[in-house]
Amino acid sequence: MRTRIICIGNALIPEDDAGPRVFERLRRARLPATVELVDGGLAGLRLLPLFEDGRRIVLVDAVSGLAEAGTVTVFDCASVVGGSAGANYGHAGGLAYLLGVLPAVIDGPIPQILLVGLETPAGGEAIEAAADLCLNLDEREPHHVVQPFPH
Amino acid sequence: MGERKVLDIPLNRAEGDLEIRVEVEGGVVTDAWSAGTMYRGFENLLVGRGALDGLVVTPRICGICTTTHLTAAVLALDDAACVRVPDDAVRLRNVALATEHVQSDVRQAVLMYMADFAGAAHAGHSLHDEAVRRYAPLKGGVATDTIRETKRVLEIVAIIGGQWPHSSFMVPGGVTHRPEATEILRCRHILHRYREWYERRVLGCSIGRWREIRTAGDLDAWVEENGAQRNGEIGFFMRFCREACLDSIGRGCGRFLSFGGLDLPAATRTKGRRGKLVAAGLAHGGKVHAFDQAKIAEHIASSWFEGYEGGRHPFEGLTRPYASGDEAGRYSWAKAPRYDGHPAETGPLAELLVARDPLFTDLVTERGPSAMVRQLARMARPAILFDAMDQWLDELMRSEGDGFHTSPGAIRDGRGMGLTQAARGALGHWVTIAGGRIQRYQIITPTAWNASPRDSAGVRGPWEEALIGTPVRDPANPVEIGHVIRSFDPCLVCCVHSVKGGRSLGRAVLQV
Repeated sequence: MRTRIICIGNALIPEDDAGPRVFERLRRARLPATVELVDGGLAGLRLLPLFEDGRRIVLVDAVSGLAEAGTVTVFDCASVVGGSAGANYGHAGGLAYLLGVLPAVIDGPIPQILLVGLETPAGGEAIEAAADLCLNLDEREPHHVVQPFPH
Repeated sequence: MGERKVLDIPLNRAEGDLEIRVEVEGGVVTDAWSAGTMYRGFENLLVGRGALDGLVVTPRICGICTTTHLTAAVLALDDAACVRVPDDAVRLRNVALATEHVQSDVRQAVLMYMADFAGAAHAGHSLHDEAVRRYAPLKGGVATDTIRETKRVLEIVAIIGGQWPHSSFMVPGGVTHRPEATEILRCRHILHRYREWYERRVLGCSIGRWREIRTAGDLDAWVEENGAQRNGEIGFFMRFCREACLDSIGRGCGRFLSFGGLDLPAATRTKGRRGKLVAAGLAHGGKVHAFDQAKIAEHIASSWFEGYEGGRHPFEGLTRPYASGDEAGRYSWAKAPRYDGHPAETGPLAELLVARDPLFTDLVTERGPSAMVRQLARMARPAILFDAMDQWLDELMRSEGDGFHTSPGAIRDGRGMGLTQAARGALGHWVTIAGGRIQRYQIITPTAWNASPRDSAGVRGPWEEALIGTPVRDPANPVEIGHVIRSFDPCLVCCVHSVKGGRSLGRAVLQV
C-alpha cells in the first residue's frame, strides 16, 4: 500500500519534538519506494492536499496522558475525522481543525489515517520504536490500533 | 474518559504568544496593553550565517506570510548587490506574492473574523442564524467552500516556486527557474477560477461593478442594489457589522503606513505609482505623505530588550533579549516600531488610503476608521490585485524572454533593505553583510507595527489605542475586543477567555 508518513511537531519545544525526531530518524533510513516522508511541522490546513491522492496517511505526533512515558501507540483517527476537535481556526489551521473539517473539504475519498503517538517525554528508544513501527504498520496486529477519540 | 480529554493537547496547537490586557470601567475599555509573550530571535539566529541564508531561514518566520518574507529577504539582497532583476522574474515574484495575499484575505475574513459572528455572543443578532449557516467552524457552508477554493489558488505558488509554504525560489537577481508556457497557462486557469468564485461568493458582482463604488453612500446603495450583492460575503458583512455596531469601535491611532509593494516590471501595461502597484506612503489627517524609510525607528522602552535608549533605525538596531519581568514597565517581547516618531497602523486599509482609493478615503473621512472599515478593506483588496496578476501572467505567456535571472556574482559586503507589503501590512528586512556573512539582520513585521507596546514616550501602539473606548458588554466573553484586534489580522492563533479576581475585578484579559 502506498503510504505517506507525516511527522508533526515543533523541534524547538521538547514536549512537542517527538514527530520531528522521528522524521530525522526516518530521513536517514532507506525507505521503501511506496513510502513518502513529509516533515509536517506545525502545519494544519495546508496539509490538506497531502490527503487527497489516495495514499494511506500515517501521522506521527507526541501525545500525553495516555500511557507511560515513552510508550508508542497506534491510534485510528477515523473517530476524530469530522469531529469537533480543533474548531478554533488560526491562520495556519491546526491538525485537529484539518481532521475535523476533512469530510467537507476533501477532493475524493477520505484515506485511511493512522496516528503513531509517542507518549512524552519520549526517549531515544521510543523514537527508534516509532520509526520502525511507521515502516511496518502492515504487519501489526489489529489490536494495536485503538480509538482514543470520543465519537 | 480523562485520558481522552488530555489527548487533544498535542493535536490542538494554539499559539498563545500574544496577550491583550484591558482595563474596563463602566463597561468601556479605558486602557490597554499588548504583550507579545514569545521571543522570536530570528535576527540573532541569522548573524554569522552566509549572506544568502536569509532566503531559506526567514520564510520560516511565518507559515502564512512565507512568500512575503522571502520577497523582503531577496529585495534586501538585490539592494545590497545592486543587481537588475529581469522583468519576467519580477512578474513571477509578484504573482506568487499576490497569490498569497488573495488567499489569506479571504481565509482570514471567513475563517477567523466572521467565525465570531456565529458565536453565542451574537445569539441575539437578527442575522445570527444565517451567520451560523455560513461561518460555524467545521460546518458552515461558506467556511468549507473557502477552504476548498483557497487551497486550489495556492497551487499557483507551488507551480512558480516549487512548493508552498517556505519556498526559496527567489534569489538575488531573479528567480531560480522560469515555468513552461503550459505551467503559466495552468496558473491563469487557477487564477480565473478563483476570481470567478470571489466575484460570485464574496462580492456578489463583477470586480468592475465593485470598482464603481466611490463613496460611503455608493456603498450603502450597492449593498441593497440586488440579492446577490446583499447576500454576498461583503454585503452580509456590512449588514451584520452595522447592527453589531462594529462601525463605531476600533478607531485607532489615525496614522496609516504602507511601505509599498509589488514592483512594476520595466515594461508592463499594469499601472502603479512610483514603480510599484501598491503605493508607499503615510496617510494622516486626510493627506498622504511621501514615504521615507529613514524615519523608521524601533523603541524598546516597554520591551524585554536592552542596549539603547529612545529609538533606533533598523540598520542600527539591536536585538538583545533581556528577560526582566515587569522591571521598568517592560511587558512585551515585541519592540515598538515608530514612523517619524509616531505609531502607525499598517495593513490593507493603510494601502488603500495611501493609494487614495476613493471609497475608503471617503469612508474614513466621513465616518472614521473602525473595525468594520479595516476588515472591509481586507475583504476588498483581492479586487485590486486580480487584474494585475492576470496581466503579468499574460505578459509572461507572450514574453520572448529577457531571462529570469541576472547573476549578481558573489554578494559583496555592504547593506541592503527589502521593503514590501505582506498580507497583514508593511514588512521590512534590513541586512548588513561583512566578510561574506551576515553581520546584522533586523526584521520589522506588520504585526510588530500594529501590536507594538508603548514607546519611549509612553505612547500606546496602534491596537492598544484602537481598544480605547470599546464597550465590553460581557467581561466573561469580551467579543468586542476580539473584533477590534482581529480587524488588524494579528498573525497569531486566537483564543479568547477572561479572568478576573481580587483587584482585577472589572479587568478583562484577552489572550489572543
